[in-house]
Amino acid sequence: MDMDAILLSLKLALWTLALIIPFGVWVAHALLRLNRSKPWIEAALALPLVLPPTVLGYYLLVGLGGKSIFGIPLVFSFTGILIASLIVNLPFAIQPIQRAFEAINPEIIEAAQVSGLSNWQIFRLIELPLAWRGITSAAVLTFAHTLGEFGVVLMVGGAIPGETKTVSIAIYDKVQNFDATGAGVLSLILLLTSLVAITVSYGVFGRSASRQKSGRA
Amino acid sequence: MLKIKVSQALPNPLQIDIECAPGELHALVGPSGSGKTSVLRTIAGLSNASLGKIECGNQTWFEANELQGITKSFSPAERSCGFLFQQYALFPHLTALENVCIPLQNSEKDLTKRKAIAMDWLNHMGIIELADRLPHQLSGGQQQRVALARALVKKPNALLLDEPFSAIDAPTRQGLYKILAELRRDLPIPIVLVTHDLREADLLADRITVIDQGVGLQTASPHVLFQKPRNSRVAQLVGISNMFEGVFSSGKLSWNHSQYVFEVVDKGKIPPQTPVAWVIPADGLSLHPHAHANTMEARVDQISSLGQIAVVQLQINDGAHLITWEASAAELRRLGLEIGKNTHVEIDGSKIHIMPLRQINDPRHFTS
Repeated sequence: MDMDAILLSLKLALWTLALIIPFGVWVAHALLRLNRSKPWIEAALALPLVLPPTVLGYYLLVGLGGKSIFGIPLVFSFTGILIASLIVNLPFAIQPIQRAFEAINPEIIEAAQVSGLSNWQIFRLIELPLAWRGITSAAVLTFAHTLGEFGVVLMVGGAIPGETKTVSIAIYDKVQNFDATGAGVLSLILLLTSLVAITVSYGVFGRSASRQKSGRA
Repeated sequence: MLKIKVSQALPNPLQIDIECAPGELHALVGPSGSGKTSVLRTIAGLSNASLGKIECGNQTWFEANELQGITKSFSPAERSCGFLFQQYALFPHLTALENVCIPLQNSEKDLTKRKAIAMDWLNHMGIIELADRLPHQLSGGQQQRVALARALVKKPNALLLDEPFSAIDAPTRQGLYKILAELRRDLPIPIVLVTHDLREADLLADRITVIDQGVGLQTASPHVLFQKPRNSRVAQLVGISNMFEGVFSSGKLSWNHSQYVFEVVDKGKIPPQTPVAWVIPADGLSLHPHAHANTMEARVDQISSLGQIAVVQLQINDGAHLITWEASAAELRRLGLEIGKNTHVEIDGSKIHIMPLRQINDPRHFTS
């Protein structure tokens, strides 16, 4: 079994989560206050959903290659695939959080305002706890999606063992080398991990939906 | 004293000029969509009008003029009003106790003290045993008591109540009326109540402002409002049933589409030959079994009995007018009224109240 690939995929998924969830919460919350520019920003954030991974991978290669926009070459490195993974996961992280913020009854926020809370207090004490199931859902989706991401990671990272060769790329390699057993084991691991993650997410959804019913419009 | 004088033409017309003294309960009454809630939101700082001034005590909360726009607008936190939302708007993830603690977040740093003060209020509202329940585990009436405790816990500068009694059953409502009466005794702050229920306003309020399409049409005590509505729209909105049209000319009121002319008090304010609307309150109407000089013949058209009270519709023999008369069951028997029978109606001219037929209520004509 390809332990290196599994560990690398986990490392990539956890790093992606750690960076994208705070960013997603911030963007989703900021989007609540936008009017005219909102459709454009939402469209840009949803692009990774509809673009072929090769197109996204191509632009990332161009942007991260050479000296890259960060001043150092980032292609074929862990940082490179992390950046790619962050971009690919934007819609998976932001949309559930945005929906959760939007579902909060505006009167509840107004009640918090007349109760004398500052904007930061409203965010921390009211909005964040009420949006937590959206945030959990975003985290689960991002985690599962990062584990399974293939096209963009292959374009940007290649398949350097221990550096950029994730589980899904390892599976592809094994199939290319007629290692059906190895590919099967890794595929099963990926399948079960994703299934557990999604089940947990649905479980959280079901419970919190009944608990917070009275707060929804 | 809470003084609100605000106006705007867009997006929704608003033209309000009201004052509410500490300890006073001022009701804003009007049909749905008349802008009552907008007025409350404007007072609380949840939205702003485009012109006017809102003052409370010696503080100016809001000021705006045509030249400079809004020059001052306190945040809802700075205004510190207690706001009771129609749907309560409790924080669904917090217990009753935690909900009531929230407004103390910035004024009382010690969590134990916060909880003690909040517990006091829950006790005051008679729901101390529900402190650890989440909002969805409470009934409508209980949720409302929590919401009221939350609105009052920080000792607000004014209490704003948005249709507080509309979603609860009658017994619960009686309990809340009692709480409100106690509050007014113990807490001398201005209270503004929004309601579409006139009986409720009549029962609870010291003064009532009738609002229609965002415009305050009349502010008066309930008694004056029902006896002397300022214009026909107010009369219509406060549900005065006997309202008619006529032409007024130096002390004489001729009833439109009828041969009847009444002698009324002439205050010298109305020019001759002015078309007017007029109302006759219940105590200006009497029925007699026999005709005499001032009576009009009428036929009983309909009798609706509502317990001890009966509402009688009388068709005047001019054929053009219906008069509604409320009587006790005993009176009905005394007069021997039955559908189809004839009787004699007397209208006391000195009780007739005359009003302009229409009034201009375009906010653009409002001067602040």
